[in-house]
Amino acid sequence: MAVLELPDWMALAPALILAGTALVLFLIDSIEPHSTNRTLLSGTAVAGSLSSLAVAVWFTVAGVGATGIENYGVIDIMDGQFVVDQLALYFMIIIAVVTALVTVASYDYLQDHTYQAEYYSLVVLAATGMSMMAASNSLVTIFIALELTSLPSYALVAILKDNRGSVEAGLKYFLIGALSSAIFVYGVSLVYGATGSLQLTRIAAVLESGDGAVAEMGGLLGLGILMLIGGIAFKTASVPFHFWAPEAYEGAPAPISAFLSSASKAAGFVLAFRVFTTAFPLEATTGIIGIDWTLAFAILAIVTMTLGNFAAATQENVKRMLAYSSIGHAGYVLIGLAALSADGGDLVMGAAMMHLLVYGFMNTGAFLFVGLAEYWGVGRTFEDYNGLAERAPFACGAMAVFMFSLAGVPPFSGFWSKYLLYTELINAAADNTALLVLAAALVINSALSLYYYSRLVKALWIEEPLLDRDRLAQPTGLYAAIIAAAVMTIVLLPAFGPVADAALEAAAAVVA
Amino acid sequence: MTVDVQYYVLLSMAVFCIGLFGVLTRRNALLFLMSVELMLNAANINLIAFAFYHGNLTGQLFALFTMALAAAEVAVGLGIILVLYRNFRDVDVTVPTTMRW
Repeated sequence: MAVLELPDWMALAPALILAGTALVLFLIDSIEPHSTNRTLLSGTAVAGSLSSLAVAVWFTVAGVGATGIENYGVIDIMDGQFVVDQLALYFMIIIAVVTALVTVASYDYLQDHTYQAEYYSLVVLAATGMSMMAASNSLVTIFIALELTSLPSYALVAILKDNRGSVEAGLKYFLIGALSSAIFVYGVSLVYGATGSLQLTRIAAVLESGDGAVAEMGGLLGLGILMLIGGIAFKTASVPFHFWAPEAYEGAPAPISAFLSSASKAAGFVLAFRVFTTAFPLEATTGIIGIDWTLAFAILAIVTMTLGNFAAATQENVKRMLAYSSIGHAGYVLIGLAALSADGGDLVMGAAMMHLLVYGFMNTGAFLFVGLAEYWGVGRTFEDYNGLAERAPFACGAMAVFMFSLAGVPPFSGFWSKYLLYTELINAAADNTALLVLAAALVINSALSLYYYSRLVKALWIEEPLLDRDRLAQPTGLYAAIIAAAVMTIVLLPAFGPVADAALEAAAAVVA
Repeated sequence: MTVDVQYYVLLSMAVFCIGLFGVLTRRNALLFLMSVELMLNAANINLIAFAFYHGNLTGQLFALFTMALAAAEVAVGLGIILVLYRNFRDVDVTVPTTMRW
């Protein structure tokens, strides 16, 4: 690595900066326990996540991890336990962005809260785990990063200790999380049994060697892969481990819902992309276990997006509607894995990654608006939101941007990422016509989603308020985060070309 | 005398299924936690047996990590069960139903 001749391990800097920030927050807490100095705590967390973002962007621009003559190549750390390539840096950027938005918004949300330092350090620790997950290249480091993400998240969901909803959400999230991580680690043990290795590239080498001993263990390997998919489905909130999501998102503090539904989901997907493209090469794995694993993802994608969208359409509670919509979007991104068997599958995966970046802005923004509504204390259902635009036109305008972008209405960036996904999928379908079913499901579900997203916009802008409201407060942090997310949702549009290229290149490099 | 690796796999699968059965049927949060521990330890049995079978130490090392992580998970879990008890006066996982499933 030649960026100013830094040592190799410095390539993990975006994750290491987050870890350092968490430790600084612990230090502040130990010097001044129960500190309620919101500016200091929130400022430290925001500074940490922004510098992690800056370093990740710098590395990407400088060409760290990119393949090519003038670039620095993919960096292996600790004998291939970690790998820093364009895919890793791309997801580190998404995670740092969401963390920054969430920590800015928490400044107001946590007013009068007792455990502020703990809250911020847990958020930053979970972000560290997600960032490490993007760079993990061995089932050992993946599992450790997964737990580093999950354990703070459980505590964060339940952090409103006297609020029954928050505690119940934390309990349900923890129970399902513990179950799915047990299933995941059992899957890891079976894959290890079949291949004798835990490092992803070595697993692939064993599978491709056509060793007779591995072929005999096809059943164990297949079961192991199925269990790994289970663990990933939990992190990404897709079927069959999706049912924690509506509960956890509804009960958790809104900034935490935003954090889990955007950053945690992105981290789950980078795990899926990394494990399945690196460790289980399609042809060799299909030869051993007898089934093409993309089929499993195709089924999960269709079921997930349909279930998410239909359930979202029936909700009365706004936060719950957003939770189901987040399940629906997990279904769209799963298409990226389902299409890998066809020619041009790497482009579909790149488009799915693009969608995750856009989703990081628009979904975080939408949940933060719900956080703003909770801050105002206006209630939770669609009716309670009626006519808010009269009192807070800026925030409601931003919310309309998020909603239309989530639904995929042009000209917002949510439309372009979905459009890119759709066109690449149609191109890939030339090679494998079964993919047309996925394309059809994507279009039908997007059309359905427009119904419930526009219902919220209608409530905000058109309906008459149920009761007269006084002037609503304008908390600085929440407003800043929401406006920043809205601006990015729109600004990504002119910048779409280069960002999309970065995503497509990152995907192509991993698949090749 | 050495025992063939498939018997270890059978044992671990039995332990795993007992754990899974416990997860699905128990209503007490603490018993739920114990069942999850059984499932994690089933994976450990596998890892150690396969490490012996393949003749490398990767699996044994990973089993150590799994144990440490399981302990951390229980610590967080017990904390959540404690606040659950304070709020609901019960550790039955079916009692908290402020939100519909």
